[in-house]
Amino acid sequence: MKPQEPIPHNYPMRKLNLIFALTSLGLLAVTGVMVMYDYVRGWKWFQLEFNRIQAERIQQELTSKNDAETRKRLAGIERDMKAGQVEIARNRNAYLEAQKALDEWEGKHYAADQNYRFAKAVLDAKRYELEAATVQHRHDVKERQREYDTRNAHLAQLNLTLQEVTRNRDAARARVDTFLKRIKQLEDQKKDLTANADLLNKQLRGVAMSSDNMILNAPMLDFINPTLKIDQVVLNDLFIEMNYMSVPRVDRCMTCHRAIDRPGFESKKEAERLAAELQTKLDRNLVQPSKRAEMEARVAALRRIVDGPRDMMNPFRTHPKLDTFVGSSSPHPLLEMGCTVCHRGQDRATEFGRAGHTPMSLRMEQRWKKSMPFFPSVKDYEKRNWGYEVNPFLDTPMYPREHSEAGCLKCHSGQMEVGEGEKINKATHMVELYGCHACHKISNWRFTDLQKPGPSLEGIAEKTTPAFAFRWIANPTHFRPTTRMPSFFYQRNMIGPDVSASERAQNIKYQDAEIHAIVTYLFSKSTHRAWSAPTGGDAARGKELVNSIGCMGCHIAQDTVKDEKTGVVRVAKRDDFPLERHFGFNLTGVGSKTNPAWIFNWVKNPKAYDPLAPMPSLRLSESEAADITAYLMSLQKPRFMQEPVRPPSASAVRELAKAYLVNTLTDVDANTKLRSMSDHDQLVYLGQRSIEKYGCYSCHDIKGFDGLKPIGTELTVEGSKTLHLFDFGFAHDYEAHDGKHEHILHTVPSWVYTKVRSPRVYDDKRAKPYNDKLKMPNFHLSPEEAQLVTSVVLGLTKEKVSENRLASRDARHRAVEEMRKIVSQRNCRACHVVNRAGRAIGPMIADTNFLPPDLTPQGGRAQSPWLFSFLKDPTVMKIRPWMNVRMPTFGFSDHEAATIVSGFAAEGNEPQFETMRYEIPPQQNVAIGREVYAMLRCAQCHSTTPVDPANPPLPNVADAQSLAPNLTLSKLRLRHDWIADWIRRPGEMIPDTRMPANFPRDPETGGFRSPLAGAIDTPQFAGHKAALLPYFANEEALRKTMGDAVALTNYLRDYIWSVGLNQMRNPGAGPVTPAPQPQPVTPPAPVQQTARAGSR
Amino acid sequence: MTFLKNFVNVLSVASISFILLTAIFTFIVYFNLLDGRIKSKAGIGFIAFGIFLLVTGIWVTPLLYCGIAYMLCLFGLSKLGPRIWEPKIGMWMLILGGGAFGLSILDPNFKLIAAKPDNVPIAAMIFLLGIFTWIALRRAYVNDHQMALGGIPYEKTESDEKLFTWPDLVYTEMLCMIALTIVMIVWSVGLRAPLEEAANPTSSPNPAKAPWYFLGLQEMLVYFDPWLAGVVLPTLIIVGLMAIPYIDTNPRGNGYYSFRERKWEIGIFLYGFLVLWSFLIITGTFLRGPNWNFFGPYEYWDPNKLEPLVNIDLSELIWVKAMSMPLPKLWIIREAPGLILVLAYLGLAPALAAGPLRRFYLKMGGPRYYVGAYLFLIMLALPIKMVLRWLFNLKYIVHIQEIFFNI
Repeated sequence: MKPQEPIPHNYPMRKLNLIFALTSLGLLAVTGVMVMYDYVRGWKWFQLEFNRIQAERIQQELTSKNDAETRKRLAGIERDMKAGQVEIARNRNAYLEAQKALDEWEGKHYAADQNYRFAKAVLDAKRYELEAATVQHRHDVKERQREYDTRNAHLAQLNLTLQEVTRNRDAARARVDTFLKRIKQLEDQKKDLTANADLLNKQLRGVAMSSDNMILNAPMLDFINPTLKIDQVVLNDLFIEMNYMSVPRVDRCMTCHRAIDRPGFESKKEAERLAAELQTKLDRNLVQPSKRAEMEARVAALRRIVDGPRDMMNPFRTHPKLDTFVGSSSPHPLLEMGCTVCHRGQDRATEFGRAGHTPMSLRMEQRWKKSMPFFPSVKDYEKRNWGYEVNPFLDTPMYPREHSEAGCLKCHSGQMEVGEGEKINKATHMVELYGCHACHKISNWRFTDLQKPGPSLEGIAEKTTPAFAFRWIANPTHFRPTTRMPSFFYQRNMIGPDVSASERAQNIKYQDAEIHAIVTYLFSKSTHRAWSAPTGGDAARGKELVNSIGCMGCHIAQDTVKDEKTGVVRVAKRDDFPLERHFGFNLTGVGSKTNPAWIFNWVKNPKAYDPLAPMPSLRLSESEAADITAYLMSLQKPRFMQEPVRPPSASAVRELAKAYLVNTLTDVDANTKLRSMSDHDQLVYLGQRSIEKYGCYSCHDIKGFDGLKPIGTELTVEGSKTLHLFDFGFAHDYEAHDGKHEHILHTVPSWVYTKVRSPRVYDDKRAKPYNDKLKMPNFHLSPEEAQLVTSVVLGLTKEKVSENRLASRDARHRAVEEMRKIVSQRNCRACHVVNRAGRAIGPMIADTNFLPPDLTPQGGRAQSPWLFSFLKDPTVMKIRPWMNVRMPTFGFSDHEAATIVSGFAAEGNEPQFETMRYEIPPQQNVAIGREVYAMLRCAQCHSTTPVDPANPPLPNVADAQSLAPNLTLSKLRLRHDWIADWIRRPGEMIPDTRMPANFPRDPETGGFRSPLAGAIDTPQFAGHKAALLPYFANEEALRKTMGDAVALTNYLRDYIWSVGLNQMRNPGAGPVTPAPQPQPVTPPAPVQQTARAGSR
Repeated sequence: MTFLKNFVNVLSVASISFILLTAIFTFIVYFNLLDGRIKSKAGIGFIAFGIFLLVTGIWVTPLLYCGIAYMLCLFGLSKLGPRIWEPKIGMWMLILGGGAFGLSILDPNFKLIAAKPDNVPIAAMIFLLGIFTWIALRRAYVNDHQMALGGIPYEKTESDEKLFTWPDLVYTEMLCMIALTIVMIVWSVGLRAPLEEAANPTSSPNPAKAPWYFLGLQEMLVYFDPWLAGVVLPTLIIVGLMAIPYIDTNPRGNGYYSFRERKWEIGIFLYGFLVLWSFLIITGTFLRGPNWNFFGPYEYWDPNKLEPLVNIDLSELIWVKAMSMPLPKLWIIREAPGLILVLAYLGLAPALAAGPLRRFYLKMGGPRYYVGAYLFLIMLALPIKMVLRWLFNLKYIVHIQEIFFNI
């Protein structure tokens, strides 16, 4: 090629080359930055930190396992192994010979085996040829047959040879093994000792920061098999509601929360709590023996955590209450439920901000907002600065921690209460009691078919006076600080600080007019039945009655409480009493409200006044009712009745009435209509409209308002409403009714909390005409109450859960839940413990021996027919005649009573109808049982004298400890098999029962120990022993039976069954329900008469 | 500072900014490109208009602000004259513009809109628009100046020698590619695409905005009926752009920048592109907030802001307001005034052909003239309608509901 002239360029090449170099380097750098941005992720930090913690722990465990003892043993084994090898060396020749023989026989075996197999293959081929020849009718069939037979015989021969050779070879092998046996044993021992350490080392390799792991996790290479990876659980039947479709949840929370389902990483507080809980279980022998060692080890581990140096920080903590949530043996295991179904948040997020974490308090939020350094260390984790920003695009942020139980409602809204969910149970009970469901429709089973929270107003004129009614509606808490009735009038959007003076005066006139109108309407539409007044009546005796026969279970009769800590007497709040005691109204001041005739007839027979009244009848006699009336009339509040009442302003009434009329009429026609109405008619008209406006009919039965729709917003899916649909108005902070200063955050929980705490605050600073102002009344909720109600609202979401995930959906559980609904609606827990909670009346009864019974085991305990009769008419049987508290006659319909009965039966897993009640125990068992009864001295408390079930004699209440039901009633009341179970373990069924535990649990076997095992041989029991011996083959058998708790309790049961009565009265009309129609008379099936009780 | 922000907020109102932009456009053309003088008939006319604005501003404060800005621009641009095309002055303008933008970012309301990842490229494009327009016009001016002195344009001085594709084309292209890749990566890592809320068919965003290249049309919808703003006018824009080579047969200015040789062509195009199209896009992107209400650049986008919409048709103006009669039932009678006006407007083309623009008509020939004239008239219809809307709250000139045709 000929040399060329330098080519002229448009640009200087050196400069271009320089630019090329620089930009290439820049591109490399920027690509590195890009890879780094993709690769460096927050969750990897957390996983690395967690791996470090785990590596630390494994190291600690390894060193603890590698202690002197283990090392000594390992050294011993090594020595033994060496010795074994020395021994082999000594017997070297024999060993070598045996080995040689073995090798020979192995060779022979190989050959014999091969010969056999080949011969078999050839035989199969010959078989084929034979069969083919036969089928094809060839001429050489006979030859083929001969060949086949020869081969067959040959094969049998070879088989025998092979077996022989195998036998010989095995013998040779055994001979060699005798030399090696010892060494093999030692090797196995060594493996046992090091097995655990090997496992730990394997684990350590997985988490340590080794170079292998670093390569596996390197950028660009981490798609092969990284050790740091995103961890997720896909839940196909728990759906996330996107706005136009439902998608399965994919929870990735455990990517950072590595130890959430592993015990051993609890916080100190949780470790302490859990250790105490498990220790209680161990102490009470509530643990199966096979599980005891495990639990003790766990308690020890927890105690180590409590004593340890540092507290485990999130995200590495174990979930609290691991046995209820998240643990693999809990009802909500992590792999089946994930996390977001309870906590909400963005399921698929892997970053702190995207996941929707919600800080618990303002202080936490400030701390979170600070950002972490780029390469964080352990100290930085502990500072918990996450660089947090509220994510405005997430519709479902996590529930704040105080509302974490809101998520229960998704699956558990078919239940009355959730196991271990104290807060959500109290919350739903509160919603039911305060009646939110009455104005706001909630289409969940939990909140449908509930009674109206307020009393019927259809007979108000008989009960009280307009003077009271006006003052009451105007300001319920002035009369009754603990009332459930909310305040509708004179709220902050009418007369508050943001309202101008002129508007305030106007509003007061309007509010007065509305209250007057409502009162006028109610009294004009009321019935006017006449009730007879009582004659006489001793107030002191009445007070005694009210405090003793059970009124205090559903009612309170005090306005003030003494603060326990300071001793100061202050106004009572609702929180001071259990919810059950708010079921009926607070009795203070009732004398100012109503009149003696009404009270007299009400306490005698509430259903005569209102057939749907929840108040039951306590079967008061005339004098008792008179006494109670006298007492209640003495509870007056004269100051309340002296509060001034402004008369209604005629102009206000007219203006308000006209505002309604012009909706349908023109201005002129409205004026005409108004002029044609008298003042009273105007008030009645305005009253009707006002009742419609404020929705009084939602909580009270009012004449003329049947079947109207509830007035409030439907709350069935309120928890799914997005933030921008909530109207915050101009409110940022406010002072609540109890004086507490509250802030409003721009979040849904805060909106709802504020709404239930101070509903009208969202009207602040807004210009609205009178009838457009917010109407929700103020329930005077304390901060705790408001928080609980907010939890319920937040939990009502539209997120679907597939059918098989819903709790309590099978027939048995539905029966139980229906029963529990009636239990809640009739407030049984005021007096009884039902399902391990309740008995609000407990603190009011000084002597715990006189408490109403614990119904937790009622399903397994009581026979259904008896329970039905008892519920319909408690006078059929007085089981505990010493008690002052009376079981009321509730006036259940047959349907209600049957629901309760079938619910209890389902709860106890027993059938409603059974034949065991007709069981006749064998005579022998009865006799033995009688002796055991005597030996255990049951007669100290129980009587076996037959009594009239409806009218038993009163026992001696001086010895309160020994009050026990008469055992002749058992056959009618108790289930046959339950009796034996009860005698064995009363403390497990009813923890605070007075029935002694005669057969304590044996912690090792889990069975029951019998006190008679040793006692039978003592001189005191000689007589009993003699009486029993005839029934047994020999003394050994007797002793054996005396040690067998199950057998003994069965005999006892048979004895009790034998002394039981067979008949009791039918449930009667009782004083309140109408007498039942006479049934077609079918005589009861003849019941076999057993030996009379007490004949010995 | 607040006063300054308020000043800018008021100036950004569509009506005021349109007047200002048209005025500045005219100034640049007259004073900076055509070497006009303030002491001329045109200059006096400009000053008079400015005084008119200031006087009416005594009653209508926005016009006062407009007048102040107008006078400032007038004297500034006329003083600068051709010096505006010096690189130093250009650099200063860029620095001032960038500085103003940087200072504005400090205002939280401005930052919310301008720093949104979606809007960052649009803001960048505004700067690019200014820079490239300035470069092109500078070249044009320099060429014109040289040609006025008897020389040849700059582009023609370069030799006709051929260059090699490698390295002069391809190497430099590759360097540009690398540099651009760096910019793209840094941009995409720094301003990442956000993950906003889940799509919700029952909740449409407020405002619901089209992509930036359609925002001009969306803004036009404020002034025109959807049929016109969405179908007719865009079609005509495209058809018009396609038709330009056939209408514009000016052989001069070919292969080199020049303004004087192509005054009308460049003037009309730049007016249509910058003052009409780009202005509409900028308004639609940055100055329209919730409910398509107008918000100044430093105003908070309050979704509760309510402005009364009290626009009125021409037929209502004439029949109901002026003559106090009920609207006639037959649309041909009712819309007669509007139709006459429109026809008269369209009749301007032949009218002008017969009169002042006769030489154009003769030069271009009938078809070319009429196509060009009508395209131009329809283009001008946009600002005219906008001005009518701002002055008289005029909704439709012709409002024929029966056949869904409105102008």
